[in-house]
Amino acid sequence: MADLYQEKLMDLYRNPHNKGKIKSPSVSVSKQNPMCGDEITLQLEVEDGVVKDAKFDGSACSVSIISSSVLTDYLIGKTLEKVKKLTQKDLLKLINLNLSTSRVACATLVFAALQEALKRYDES
Amino acid sequence: MTMNVKEIKKDFPILDREINGCPLVYLDNAATSQKPRQVLDAIVDYYSNHNANVHRGIHTLSEEATQMYEGARKVVADFINARYSEEVIFTKGTTESINRVAVSWGLQNLKKGDVILLTDFEHHSNLIPWQEEAKIIGAKIEFLEADENGEISLEQVKSKMHNKVKLVSIPHVSNVLGTILPVKEICKIAHSCGALVHVDGAQAIPHMEVNVQNLGCDFYSFSAHKMLGPMGIGVLWGRKELLEKLEPYEYGGGMVEEVDYKKATWTELPIKLEAGTPNVEGAVGLAAAIKYLQEIGMSEVRKHEVELNRYTLEKLNSIEGLKIIGPKEAEKRTGLVSFTIEKLHAHDIAAVLNGMGIAVRSGHHCSMPIHKKLNISATVRASWYIYNTKEDIDKLVEGIEKAKQILS
Repeated sequence: MADLYQEKLMDLYRNPHNKGKIKSPSVSVSKQNPMCGDEITLQLEVEDGVVKDAKFDGSACSVSIISSSVLTDYLIGKTLEKVKKLTQKDLLKLINLNLSTSRVACATLVFAALQEALKRYDES
Repeated sequence: MTMNVKEIKKDFPILDREINGCPLVYLDNAATSQKPRQVLDAIVDYYSNHNANVHRGIHTLSEEATQMYEGARKVVADFINARYSEEVIFTKGTTESINRVAVSWGLQNLKKGDVILLTDFEHHSNLIPWQEEAKIIGAKIEFLEADENGEISLEQVKSKMHNKVKLVSIPHVSNVLGTILPVKEICKIAHSCGALVHVDGAQAIPHMEVNVQNLGCDFYSFSAHKMLGPMGIGVLWGRKELLEKLEPYEYGGGMVEEVDYKKATWTELPIKLEAGTPNVEGAVGLAAAIKYLQEIGMSEVRKHEVELNRYTLEKLNSIEGLKIIGPKEAEKRTGLVSFTIEKLHAHDIAAVLNGMGIAVRSGHHCSMPIHKKLNISATVRASWYIYNTKEDIDKLVEGIEKAKQILS
């Protein structure tokens, strides 16, 4: 597991992937972290059961941003079926950070947004 | 006695700890203070030598435990200059104390359309109980607003008072801004308009002399754990004539006079408001903490703190991009400073500091609305106490510079 504030990760924090907005998203969800008031918006564009595009936006801490960047990278091109199987534990493995308990909530803010997005997409 | 910080530090075993390979620099005192050996010893002594249930046994241990518990009440009463010991009600902390005022006094005394006046920088514990109360009763909440320097002028207080305001509930010191409020003057204004005043003293009582009679308030709430005492015990102080009229907050053992199958009557203050087995260990620990502070002297505590305030404000102000929330003047604050640094997130700064053994708080400090109002998502809060030194502040500054380097 990597230390949080190393150069490679800080690069991803400064230049995250998939940050911004999708023109006409299939679903858009915002989630707040009650610990700090951070807000992350996750948007998905879904076509034929496949995530064509995923973007996130919002001002948040490095853990939240790195996690959102890694998650959106993972989502793009995956089938909804596969995405639904992703667990919180899987995401934490993907971001591979040595997180203290209190920062896990920062890392999983975007995961909570994803769960809500999947639910809303199914309901629509 | 003049404060000798080096000697004081030796009384706190936890300050010998290393965190991430560095000596601990504990600057999260506004969340909770550390505990001196004297407090820990008092608790161990209670359980090792005197433990028994209070107020009900004839045997020696029960007598001793009762004397220690009631003795602690007297220590608290003297510390805040209460007129009577029975005006001191032990609770589990400030949060419970405030909830008690809201439930026991509020439900009995407030009516539909009445107004509860708060500040716009309350800790959630002096906001949510009133929001819920207002919902039940149909009362309204109005707010005093902090100015640019994080203060509230008496002119504003006068302008916000009207005949519907029945209770003013304010912090003595803001846990985010650090501002010391002019409570005595606010009490005078509120009383002249027929309103009562409850003071949330959680952030004040560890740092300065609190004299409830001199302040002129009607209720005063605080916790032991921010003033060197244990967690899980706090105090609701109220004027005797008000407490006497309160219905019990809880029902159960100890607080009764006579019980039959259909009804019961209540005993006298303070036990009427303390149903069940009380937190004797907590009361004993709190009394030991008060004695420790009294030996130093609260004016010395305050002097040390203002000196550190001055030093910290000067140092932090010289950091580029750092913005301090609250009063610019060292004398207008207790020992805490909340700040933001341009483009950096509070959690990231706190995490880098933790890597250097420095403990600070980051987040909204249980005060979301004022953060939203100031349009900031989170702040870093550093807060000091009797065992902190200028060297601790130097390390904080060094840590902030390092965080800036890593994160930007």
